[in-house]
Amino acid sequence: MSAPSFAAALAAHGVDARVEARDALAIITVPNADAADRMRDADLRRTVVALAAQHGFKTVAIELARATDDRAALPGD
Amino acid sequence: MEPVLTEAARADVATAADSSAVSPGTTTTAHEKEQSLVAWLAARPSVILGFSGGVDSAYLACVALDVLGTARFLAVIGRSPSYPDAQWDAARALAAQFGIPVLEVDTHEMLDPNYVANPSNRCYFCKTELWSVLRAVADERGFHTIVDGSNADDTHDWRPGRQAAREHAVESPLAELGFTKEEIRALSRTRGLPTWSQPSSPCLSSRLPYGSAVTIERLEQVERAERALRALGIAGDLRVRHHGDLARVELAAGSLDTWLAAANLRSLVRAVRGAGFDRVSVDLKGFRSGSLNVLGAAGA
Repeated sequence: MSAPSFAAALAAHGVDARVEARDALAIITVPNADAADRMRDADLRRTVVALAAQHGFKTVAIELARATDDRAALPGD
Repeated sequence: MEPVLTEAARADVATAADSSAVSPGTTTTAHEKEQSLVAWLAARPSVILGFSGGVDSAYLACVALDVLGTARFLAVIGRSPSYPDAQWDAARALAAQFGIPVLEVDTHEMLDPNYVANPSNRCYFCKTELWSVLRAVADERGFHTIVDGSNADDTHDWRPGRQAAREHAVESPLAELGFTKEEIRALSRTRGLPTWSQPSSPCLSSRLPYGSAVTIERLEQVERAERALRALGIAGDLRVRHHGDLARVELAAGSLDTWLAAANLRSLVRAVRGAGFDRVSVDLKGFRSGSLNVLGAAGA
């Protein structure tokens, strides 16, 4: 499993994200709520899941916000 | 609002029911299986059932009550911290609605270090406790046969609890007679059981990765988070997987479009954080049963 190579693959597909690996779980963090909103696209989700698998991850989740830093990224604040 | 099946799943149930009407004599239909179940139960002097109020055990309880009556049938709820309170409330309500005789007993798997350590065969230790308690009840009250609600689909899945059932001579008529989940849903619908469209509801410990200790605090965290998400209106399949500080929310794939919308993110995050998680994530593949099995042991 390689978080950096997965992040690079995401970037190549236009997804700007940090990747954190927890064993076979990849957690991707996008910069703002609009970027998360893009994941509503089922085709994009399938692409991300496939890329994660190619880089050795069995599960991939998108982090919506971190308690410590990204509250401002959420709409409605 | 009670969680319900997705439209696609409802269509599958309708197909299961319809197959009984369009192909009589060509396959064993759901209704024929029910007749076999009636005969199976009638051949037993008395039956005691491990009752959770879920789809399978609710259906089996109603058929058993019809066949055996209240003198020869008893449904037993094994109360455990690993199930949400809402499930027991629903089980009690269902029993009251349909006149199912119920006994509630406490189980103590949380006192078993083998269970708390959360190995991949955790269910074995839980079911060992459950069936030991039910065996004692059966012996004390003179019940002949102990049954559970396992169905034929369950035999294809990773179910270490089956070993405990075998060791305690627990029989599984729905599995033995080949009932699929869809058939049970279809037959439940015919009987007017509200459980027919209820999502599967495995215990809360299934939200913890293997190797991550089962604690009351973690179970309650998961329960609070799922309750809060239901309160937002999330219906259908839902799991909050516990990865320590991080919650990984699994939603039905068809609802990701709605809940990843920028306008809904804030309420979703707030609901899960309110349950005590620091970080909140949504699984991009959506709900699938046993998703933690593929991750193997994981540190919390």
